[in-house]
Amino acid sequence: MLRDSVLQICQVLTVLLLSPLLQGVVLQFEERIQLAQGPGIFQPYRDLWKLFHKQVVVPESASWIYLIAPFVAFTAMLTVPLLIPVLTDFPLPLSDMGDILGGGLILTLSTFIIVLAGLDTGSAYGGIGSSRAVMLTILAEPALILVFVGITLLAKAMLPFVVNHLLVENPAVYWGPAHLFLLASFFILLLVETDRVPIHSSTHIEIYMIEEARILEYSGPLLALLKWASMMKQFILYTIFCNVLLLPWGLSHRGAAIGVVGSVAALGLKFLAVAAAVVLVETAQARLRFYRYQEVLAASFVFAVLSIISTQLS
Amino acid sequence: MLTAQLEPLAASLFSLMAIACLVLAFVMLGSRWLNNYLYAFAAESWIIAALSASVAYCGGYPELYLIALLTALFRGLFLPFLIWRIMRRLDVSRELHEILQPSSALVVGALGVVFALLVAYRIGDSIGLASRVAVLALTVMLSMKLIGFLMLAVRREALSQILGLLVLENGIFLGAQILIPGMPLLIEIVILFDLLIIVACFGVLVQYLVANVGSTSSRDLKRLVG
Repeated sequence: MLRDSVLQICQVLTVLLLSPLLQGVVLQFEERIQLAQGPGIFQPYRDLWKLFHKQVVVPESASWIYLIAPFVAFTAMLTVPLLIPVLTDFPLPLSDMGDILGGGLILTLSTFIIVLAGLDTGSAYGGIGSSRAVMLTILAEPALILVFVGITLLAKAMLPFVVNHLLVENPAVYWGPAHLFLLASFFILLLVETDRVPIHSSTHIEIYMIEEARILEYSGPLLALLKWASMMKQFILYTIFCNVLLLPWGLSHRGAAIGVVGSVAALGLKFLAVAAAVVLVETAQARLRFYRYQEVLAASFVFAVLSIISTQLS
Repeated sequence: MLTAQLEPLAASLFSLMAIACLVLAFVMLGSRWLNNYLYAFAAESWIIAALSASVAYCGGYPELYLIALLTALFRGLFLPFLIWRIMRRLDVSRELHEILQPSSALVVGALGVVFALLVAYRIGDSIGLASRVAVLALTVMLSMKLIGFLMLAVRREALSQILGLLVLENGIFLGAQILIPGMPLLIEIVILFDLLIIVACFGVLVQYLVANVGSTSSRDLKRLVG
């Protein structure tokens, strides 16, 4: 019992400490593929360190929402790793607090509070960023819900651990059309939710910004918390994509120390593969116009519907 | 019936090919470029040819090998080549006259697939189709027909209407391959030649449109004068 609790804390710490590394690796890949030198994979840590040693400047027009938003977002991201298989393939204490829908709810809560904070200060860019982010969420949500429905119909359960076990034990289900369509649908959602190129811009100009525009008014430690929360969100979504859907192998089965270390290493390898795929898409695909976002998300929706159809037939 | 006594591997192979065809139909529905339609159509035809060959292998219908060969040659090479020639002559590459945005068309197509699934269940129940593959084939057949109708209805470019018609026909052909593989050889050959005539007729129609109306959009056909 004690060991399980320690493991659960380790899961949260893994997400907390390794998420800037993942961000650094993705950014470095991107720079390298454009034949640039790149700042190195540890740059996000240095950025966070710098921001935490700065002063907080609060706009005059800001209310209490502006102050609590970073903490709510950060706490939400600390909560989700409790619910999903990061290191072990068996449920740890408190992981029965919520199922897939519960995790989705907490992830959306952090999006919601940052949107509110973007609107709170009344600056033009915050409003633009919030309205764009809400439009994206509205477009992405039907596909996300249908992915959840597809997973539920596939595994007859809403717990990520059950899905993981099902896919490991049944290669027929793994290679079945239902699962492959879920992968395609979720990959599109992953690109959308982690600010990557078909939707988001890689150049940091205010007019293209979506996620960053909401937090332009923040500075110092509060900005650091928000940035860290968004890196953790990326890490969590990668974890769900890898450990639940794409590569459900390589998790600690008994919870011994060596197994946990091994599963961290496996997590690193899996994330390298997914990050390579993400960077490939970013390189091959130009950024879409604002009014064409729906096409990508409609494709994701169609894949989710096809997946549900195939679960009904197999 | 073939689908009643399939091995699991063959059954999953058939399902995979049928679903790949459906995905390609969606690619056609969602793309804005006529070139992409054409490639997707050719790929779909090749998959159907492979499906015919594997039905021939698993079910022991030697005449289906010939059908597979003819399908690959006619639908996979010759028809796309004819359409490509029309396209090159007209110098249009991009779909311009849309009634429905591609994204909305995709969502409507997805609803069509759900409808097709429900209909396939009802048909399967009433005629006692036991196997999953048969229901899947029915679903894919019906939904490709609906998608073909959708492409005919929401696109005004004459070229994409040809392709819509061909997708519709591909769907029927795919369903027939799995559900009644022993369809007489002669009928299939007749169908292939029919398709050739359809494309030739559309070629003439498109030429007429360009010569008399000045565009290839059926929206400009307003006058009922011969």
